[in-house]
Amino acid sequence: MSSAPFILIIEDEPTITEFLKTGLTYEGYQVLVAENGRDGLDSLKNHDIDLIILDIMLPDIDGFEVCRRIRAKGINIPILMLTAKKEISDRVKGLDLGADDYLTKPFSFDELLARIRALLRRAGCRFESSELRAANIILNTDTREVFVDGKSIYLTPTEFALLELFIRHPRRVFTRETLLNRIWGYDYVGNTNIVDVHVSHLREKIGDKPPRLIRTHYGIGYAFYPEDE
Amino acid sequence: MKLWDKLSLRTRLTLLHSGLLALIVCILGVTFFIDTRNLLIENTASHLRARAKPIIEHWLYGQKNHLPTSDDLKQIAKSLARDLTSRNTVALILDKHGRTIANGKMLPEEPSPPSPNPVYYSQALAGKNEVNYIISQSNHHTLVILIPLRQTPTSQKIIGVVQLSSPLTSVEQTLFYHGLYLATGALITLFMGFGLGFLLTSSALRGLKRVINICQEISKGNLNLRVNLPKRQDEIGQLAHAFDKMVECIESTFEAQRRFVANAAHELRTPLTVLRGSLDVLLRGSQDDPAAVTRLSQGMYQEVTRLARLCDQLLDLAKLETSTKIQKRPLNLNDFFKNFITQAQLLTQGRRIVLREGPFVTLVVDPDMLKQILFNLLYNAIQHTDETGTITLGWKLIPNQVEIWIADNGEGISPQDLPHIFEPFYRGKNATSKRKKGTGLGLALVKSMIEAHNGHIEVKSQLGQGTVFTFRLPLH
Repeated sequence: MSSAPFILIIEDEPTITEFLKTGLTYEGYQVLVAENGRDGLDSLKNHDIDLIILDIMLPDIDGFEVCRRIRAKGINIPILMLTAKKEISDRVKGLDLGADDYLTKPFSFDELLARIRALLRRAGCRFESSELRAANIILNTDTREVFVDGKSIYLTPTEFALLELFIRHPRRVFTRETLLNRIWGYDYVGNTNIVDVHVSHLREKIGDKPPRLIRTHYGIGYAFYPEDE
Repeated sequence: MKLWDKLSLRTRLTLLHSGLLALIVCILGVTFFIDTRNLLIENTASHLRARAKPIIEHWLYGQKNHLPTSDDLKQIAKSLARDLTSRNTVALILDKHGRTIANGKMLPEEPSPPSPNPVYYSQALAGKNEVNYIISQSNHHTLVILIPLRQTPTSQKIIGVVQLSSPLTSVEQTLFYHGLYLATGALITLFMGFGLGFLLTSSALRGLKRVINICQEISKGNLNLRVNLPKRQDEIGQLAHAFDKMVECIESTFEAQRRFVANAAHELRTPLTVLRGSLDVLLRGSQDDPAAVTRLSQGMYQEVTRLARLCDQLLDLAKLETSTKIQKRPLNLNDFFKNFITQAQLLTQGRRIVLREGPFVTLVVDPDMLKQILFNLLYNAIQHTDETGTITLGWKLIPNQVEIWIADNGEGISPQDLPHIFEPFYRGKNATSKRKKGTGLGLALVKSMIEAHNGHIEVKSQLGQGTVFTFRLPLH
């Protein structure tokens, strides 16, 4: 996993860093936390950071100043600002000082992830190309095309989302509840059996035969193994 | 009445005082006119009488040695009439039966005498000396005077009557011009009164119009407008000034309210961010990792606690602002503080807490509020003092008041933050501890509670030395 994107969080509110760290780690990113602006600037020297999540209200030097100093050093790492203020002047100031994007608190974690992906992709980060490859499968998130052994196959949106999730998180075991939450949404009310039905359809379409790519962990859920073990 | 109400104040005032002016001028004019007329007629009459008297006496009593009789009158009538007649006066001599015995008119330019009126004639015959009356003939007035002719100047016996008639042309002319002057004068006075009055009222009320315009603008929401009347010390000036002060007050209250709501909403953002983010992360799959669940739940619990406290304090503040209903009862400070210190020691986390007891005193306060005031101040002191610090509190008596103080030797408050620390949600400009665990309402609440007791709080602080909060409560 050493090749995963490295995200630096500069934020002093421990409860916020806690969920950001947990959530981003779970999504497969490496995370480093700095509790104030000075520590954050120091971390940049010692680590190969791919993206910075920067809070504006910091105890020592504020986010705008941190942003200015980073850019003054000629560092082009994408910066995503977190602001509690909705005023346009604040956002403009942030963007003018070299931030690439901003989010207003409270934000949706999904949106944060989407923006992180977009920023990494724009920065040409190797991990965020729109084409995902695993085993004999090529999946393009832009064109929504899927090729198995070079042949195009058709997947429903649900199956596509399932496959993308598996490919992005190889070897991770997803419980049926997690899959329900992430693919069908938090507010989906229904039986987890629906997950089994869609997974079996997906297996059929990608010609998944034992030893399978998508393996069942009995009593828990499913995981994706791109290489034979 | 409806039309009257619709008129502007300016028009109404002008009409009212012009009306009054007109009434006064009319009454004066008419009185003056009538008086003058009476005077002129009286004058003419007495003039005629004065002229007739010597002639009558000459003819009646001058010639003979005996008392004149009716026969004598007949003889002298013609001469008497002729003597009494002049260019504008014609005399008629009447005997005691009312028959005309002589007419003085001889020349054509002399006016013809009016025929005698029997009513006035009999009055004169009965002995009344002053019988004057006016008869009108085709717009011309003629003054008629009757003079009884007596046997002797003091006798009751009347032998005839002289009727003198004189047209009032000259009097009428004089009166006509008089009237004309009066009317012209009155009209000029009225016009000037109206015009000047209008100008005066207008200038007096001009400020009012401005106040109205500004009021209308302000009611559209432009609270930053002011009337700003240029220096005027009258009632309108005072009104404008008072109005400006009122708007000033409203604006600042509005602004404070707006800032308060914005700040309160801002305070909600962090807890909400944590709650939403943690739930998102949990639901996306971290719920499968028990350690992550524990960590995130703890974070959420912390934030929910903060939200609850924020909510409580907001409610407390609102309550203090709407009703100052506090439940006061007598309280012994010595017992109260001993009790308080015991509880406070559980919170200090190693900091030394020292009580300097003052004199024995009983205070009438709301004990719950006093406790809350002290806890909030203590909490504040703990926040800004490191674990080796000392917090001292105590009280002393000053005239009619009790002074309670709580001091720490912590980091202190910078001079530019000091005036603002009692403002809700105020955060120090360069506070090294951004949010810690406070809601930003603690000190605002302390101030409100002390003020609800008619008390007063002050703070002194020096960076690096510590802070002292001192508040005074009235003894009764």
